[in-house]
Amino acid sequence: MSEDFAQQIREKARELLEKGEVTCVIGYETGTDGRTARPAFIYDAADADRLVFDNTCTHNLAKYLLNKKGQPTAVVVKACDARALNLLLGEKQIKREEFFAIGVVCPGVVESGWMRQGETLQLRCQGCTEHTPPLYDFLVGEPAEEPAPEPSYEDVAEIEGMELEGRTEFWAKQFERCIRCYGCRQVCPGCFCIDCFAELLDPEWVGIRIAPPEKQMWNLIRAFHLTGRCIGCRECERVCPVNIPLSLLNRKMEKEVLRLFGFKAGMSPEALMPLATYSKEDKLGIGE
Amino acid sequence: MPQAAEQGSPFVPKLATMRGAADLTPDIKLFSFELDDPAAEFDYKPGQFAFVSAFGVGEGPFGLCSVAYRKERLEFAIRRVGTVTNALHRLEPGAKVGLRGPFGNYFPLEDYRGKNIVIIGGGIGMAPLRPVINTLLDHRADYGHILIINGARSPADLVFQPEFETWTKASHTTLELTVDRGDEAWTGRVALVPQVVAELHPSPENSVAIICGPPIMIRFTLQGLKALDFANEQIVTTLEGKMKCGLGKCARCNVGDKYICQDGPVFNFEQISSFIEQF
Amino acid sequence: MSKLLEKEKLLPWLEQLAGERVLIAPTRVEELTLFAPVKDATEIVLDYENTALSPKEWLFPSTEVLFTIARKDSTPELVEKTIAERYVIFGIRPCDAKGIAALDLPFLSEPADSLYAQRRAQTALIGMSCLKPAPQCFCAAMGSAPNDASNVDIMLTEVEEGYLVEVVTEKGQGLLEGVELKEVDIEPPPCPDTAAVPAEGITEVLTRVFNDPFWARLADRCIHCNICAYVCPTCYCFDIRDYTAKGNTERIRTWESCQSPGFTRIAGGYDPRASKESRLRQRFYHKLCYFPEQFSGPLGCSGCGRCVVHCPVNIDIREVITRAQEIGREASAASG
Repeated sequence: MSEDFAQQIREKARELLEKGEVTCVIGYETGTDGRTARPAFIYDAADADRLVFDNTCTHNLAKYLLNKKGQPTAVVVKACDARALNLLLGEKQIKREEFFAIGVVCPGVVESGWMRQGETLQLRCQGCTEHTPPLYDFLVGEPAEEPAPEPSYEDVAEIEGMELEGRTEFWAKQFERCIRCYGCRQVCPGCFCIDCFAELLDPEWVGIRIAPPEKQMWNLIRAFHLTGRCIGCRECERVCPVNIPLSLLNRKMEKEVLRLFGFKAGMSPEALMPLATYSKEDKLGIGE
Repeated sequence: MPQAAEQGSPFVPKLATMRGAADLTPDIKLFSFELDDPAAEFDYKPGQFAFVSAFGVGEGPFGLCSVAYRKERLEFAIRRVGTVTNALHRLEPGAKVGLRGPFGNYFPLEDYRGKNIVIIGGGIGMAPLRPVINTLLDHRADYGHILIINGARSPADLVFQPEFETWTKASHTTLELTVDRGDEAWTGRVALVPQVVAELHPSPENSVAIICGPPIMIRFTLQGLKALDFANEQIVTTLEGKMKCGLGKCARCNVGDKYICQDGPVFNFEQISSFIEQF
Repeated sequence: MSKLLEKEKLLPWLEQLAGERVLIAPTRVEELTLFAPVKDATEIVLDYENTALSPKEWLFPSTEVLFTIARKDSTPELVEKTIAERYVIFGIRPCDAKGIAALDLPFLSEPADSLYAQRRAQTALIGMSCLKPAPQCFCAAMGSAPNDASNVDIMLTEVEEGYLVEVVTEKGQGLLEGVELKEVDIEPPPCPDTAAVPAEGITEVLTRVFNDPFWARLADRCIHCNICAYVCPTCYCFDIRDYTAKGNTERIRTWESCQSPGFTRIAGGYDPRASKESRLRQRFYHKLCYFPEQFSGPLGCSGCGRCVVHCPVNIDIREVITRAQEIGREASAASG
């Protein structure tokens, strides 16, 4: 199946480039370990054969469109990645007419890294109930009938079940390893501020020390900035070089937003982010 | 490279007291500092720079614009543009700062003896050129004709106005002022610096041009001088870059394999054109 | 004849050292192997290829106070830090030891960084040679080797009977005081191979391929985080800022990377390396071209392969070197 998907993607890429409809196709190719994928930028139809699609195609390529403003670009997106396209459209970071989404009905990707191709699907894929991208110009794969999504937050519930001290200790221990490499931020499609709050000098919100208080603030505030915006690709957690379970924070916020606003980020480009919008129906939590 | 005598950490500055902060333009002040410990005095030459610390805010590299052998206070012309410079501008006389220096190389003025010197400065670019001018004028007989072209955005932004009279009155020396746009009182030249260079067309023969200003001014002035047949080696400038250590250790100020804090900041255009990286 | 430390003597020896110095050794933390201070030798892991992060943080901490500015009346007093502790890093691989030797070049060159100099003088390195390199390892191509003892105080090589002990420096000899070593006639295992990388002459080649479009294409997928620089044993760029609390100011230094947007941006907004391409190219040029030129010495890469493993988008320095050499050859052929 993945070979067939790869074929379709290659043909589409060739067609788009030969017709001049795009100047670049962003997809996946095999990396230097010979088995896991990495992002590929194809400018020449003749290079389209480099494109692959397999169960190591974990990267969220949507964010690369931010570097291609003003240039018509095609991008290969799984369902989760396509939600990032909706997020970026809704927040006016990309223009609909400037990109061509090659959507893939992705069966799921495995835990992978350099020279490491796991056998189990990533947690986010195990729980995935919407395999068809919510946004695409061309679809690879057949949309299948799926049960209504019933998000499971077992991993979040486990932390919620801890007492406050336990939770504090858990996160303090996790953040101790943080080196503020900003891998999580740089890979995240929701993080695109030109000057991140964490590095500003004036005003200085956090400070640049790579020390426990600053590391906690950095990670917690980033989770807040993504509240109602995180589309659940969990790339942040994948790239963390010290294995901090970052997505737990984002998923906790995701769970709360679902509960309070019935909202799931990235499902449509017009949807307004709950925390950035005021509506008369908002519950204030007073006198209700 | 001449560097301050070090004891202990090279990051620790010497304490100095701010003795004066004269307004030169709406956003530039001429600061003068006195080192608290006379034993910390250091020698320096035009082109070199030092780090000035506004304690609690940060440290920045600034060109020294006083002249060491005159035994003047250490002077810096500093434009208010970011966090550190804003903090310095808020200081009152008597305030304590930190000083680390001198760093970098210097203009080889002795090599220019007997030559005509063309000095072209734009805005705050005049800061490192002022000690050049004053050194040349102190050794007037050693140099040929001196042409100073000093440009700014507007008349109020012309830098070192208190010294114009001295410079104008020096023998065999011409001071040409120019602004991008004048005001009601301005009767002088209104033209961009490169245009003035073309208009005055200094001869490249036995000459050296020393230029400093915003990158775009340097780019076009360089073109103008090349059009007048100045060779690359005859055109000298001083580069600036983001710096943190000044010691060649934080690996930030390099242009290709040249570190502005170690190999510069003074470079001639023959050197710059052979830089692996575009500045 | 060589010296042998019997297996069961290793941990007691390390615990003894832990009583005299701060012992830094590989430990297991959430499925990762990381260097950490160890009091109890049972925390030490011995089955690891290499740690996720390099041990450079013990000589060049990710955050460090350069000096303190204490306010007494209206006159500030600048107080330098002194490093009181003595350290011993156990289990350091030759690539990481080479990394420390590389860091010596900028930090100890005149004027020496006094904090680094103190830590360096007060730290002993007990190396553990690699019997089985990982697929990402290429230390030999970078001028080291899995059994390279040149940058440690003692090099241990595991054999069936225990650890062969090579005492490299006097400092190393001092660590072994009171430790019983056996004289044995055991051959060290053959030095294993690591990945071949065509690094010969790379510095010169890079001076010729600076403007090739390859760099822009490579930068397309770079996300400009700091992962490669921070996991690297030889990267050393840093930032400096002041922090004031209760009237006292600390001037602190932290790791930073040439990849961060704004690394070279000056007040007023001008940025000579604003483009992704220029920033990405800078890292490779610094390590493989400017660094060896500045210090007339080794490349600024020790072949540990951590960047290869951790880069989220597979920017692989070995691929970069190989491609740069190819481009260099094509350029030479073209110009005849």
